[in-house]
Amino acid sequence: MSTVTVPLPDLTTPRAQVLLAIADDALISGHRASHWTGVAPSLEEDLAFSTIAQDGISHADLWYRVLLDGAGHDGDLRAGVDALGLGREVDAYRHAIVCERPPRDFAYTLARHWVHVHVEARRLDALAGSTDAEVAALATKLRHELRYHLAHADHWFDRLTTGDEPARDRFRAALAAVLPESLGRFEPAVGEDEVVAAGLFPVGHVALRGHWLEAAAPRLERAGFADLVPGADTLVADAAAGGRTGRHTEDFTQDVWPEMTALYRAHPDARW
Amino acid sequence: MTAATTVDPAAVRRAVEGVPDPELPPVTIGMLGMVHDLDVATDGTVRVELLPTFSGCPATEMIERDVVDAVRAVDGVQQVTVRFRFDPPWTPERIDATGRERLREFGIAPPGGPVPSPRPEGRTSLPLLVAPSAAAAAGPAADPRPCPFCGSDATIRDSEYGPTPCRDLRFCEACQQPFEAFKTF
Repeated sequence: MSTVTVPLPDLTTPRAQVLLAIADDALISGHRASHWTGVAPSLEEDLAFSTIAQDGISHADLWYRVLLDGAGHDGDLRAGVDALGLGREVDAYRHAIVCERPPRDFAYTLARHWVHVHVEARRLDALAGSTDAEVAALATKLRHELRYHLAHADHWFDRLTTGDEPARDRFRAALAAVLPESLGRFEPAVGEDEVVAAGLFPVGHVALRGHWLEAAAPRLERAGFADLVPGADTLVADAAAGGRTGRHTEDFTQDVWPEMTALYRAHPDARW
Repeated sequence: MTAATTVDPAAVRRAVEGVPDPELPPVTIGMLGMVHDLDVATDGTVRVELLPTFSGCPATEMIERDVVDAVRAVDGVQQVTVRFRFDPPWTPERIDATGRERLREFGIAPPGGPVPSPRPEGRTSLPLLVAPSAAAAAGPAADPRPCPFCGSDATIRDSEYGPTPCRDLRFCEACQQPFEAFKTF
C-alpha cells in the first residue's frame, strides 16, 4: 500500500486544537447526517439531511483551510485539508462524542440536530468577533447560512412537541438521551484558555454552554420538558466525555472512522 | 526584440467574468458578482480574488480551474493564482440584471427582490391535487419569490432544502409548477 506523507503544521498548538474541535464537530456531524441519504422518511427530509451533510463536510473543509493558512502551510492546500480530514489516527480527532453516535431513529436524529445547530449558532456568533480576521470572516458567512438549518430544526421541534402523544413521547425520549451527552460539546479544547484570552475564540466552549441554555431552556420549558433542562452543575454523561482530548467510542473507532477514511487510506494520493 | 507581451487587464477581466457557473451554465461568475478583485503584474502574473456565493459550494474547485484556464489563454499571461475570500461576504445584490434574468429563464427564482416576468397569455392552470398548506410558506424567513415561469406572487416554499445546497423548493399556486429558488445567502 502506497503512503504519502503530507507535511502538516504542529497540531498541538491551542489555535490548532480549537480549530480542530470546530472542524471535527462539523465533519463528523456531516458524516452521520449523510447516513439518511436515500433512507430518510420523506423526500424533503432526504434532501434536507443530504444538504446538511454536504454543508457540514464543506464547513469542516473550510475550517481546516483556516487552520493550515494561519499556521503557514505552504504545500498543496487540498492535500493538506484531506490529510487533516481523513488522514489522522482516531485519537487525533477532537469532536464531541455525541456527534459520532449513530443516527438511531429519526426522533433521535432531529433531537441531536436541534441541539447541534443551536450550539453551532452561538459558537459562530462568538467566532464572528474573533481577533483573527480569517476566522471572523468565515464565521460571519457560515452564521448567515445557518439560518436555513435553524428554521428546519425549530420547525421539527415545534411540530413534534405540539404533535400527538406518540410524537411527543418519542421526541422527549430522544431529547432525554441526547441532552446529557450534548454537554460534551462544551468541553474546552486542549490549551483553550490561551486562545480565548487572545481573542481568537471569544467566549470559549465552557461559557458557550450558558449562551446556548439561554435560548434552549425557554424552548424546552415551553414544550413542557423543563425537567430535561441541564442544571448549571450537571456534568457531561461519562460515556460522552473526553472527545476534545481525543477519547472516542467504538461508534467512531469501529464505525465512522473506518468507513469515512477507507478510500483515503487505500489511495492516499488520489485526487478527486 | 525580447520585450514581454503586455497583458491587457480588460482582456483578463473579460476572461474571468465569462467563466460559466458549472452548475448553472447559462450564468457566468461575472453575472453572479463573484469577481472581487483582479491584479495584473508587469511580469505577466495574474492574481484573481473571488467571492463564493455560499461557503460550501462544491463547484468552487471547478470554478478555480476554469478561471485559471481562461486567464492562461490571454496573451502574455505567465502565471495565475485564484483565491476565494469571505470578506466581504457575497450577497444576492451582486447578481446583475442579466444574471437574474438568466436564472429566471433557467427556472430558478433569483434572490433579492422580484423579477418582472409577465404571465404568458392564455396559460391554463392544472387541477390541484393537494392544497399546499399556507403554514409551509411561513417561518422565520419566508423570503417570497415570484414564479419564474408565470410571474405570479402566489407561491409558497415547500422546503428549505433542494437539489443543491444553494437552492430551496417552491410551488406556484397560479400555474401549479414546482420551481427552485436561489437561497438568500
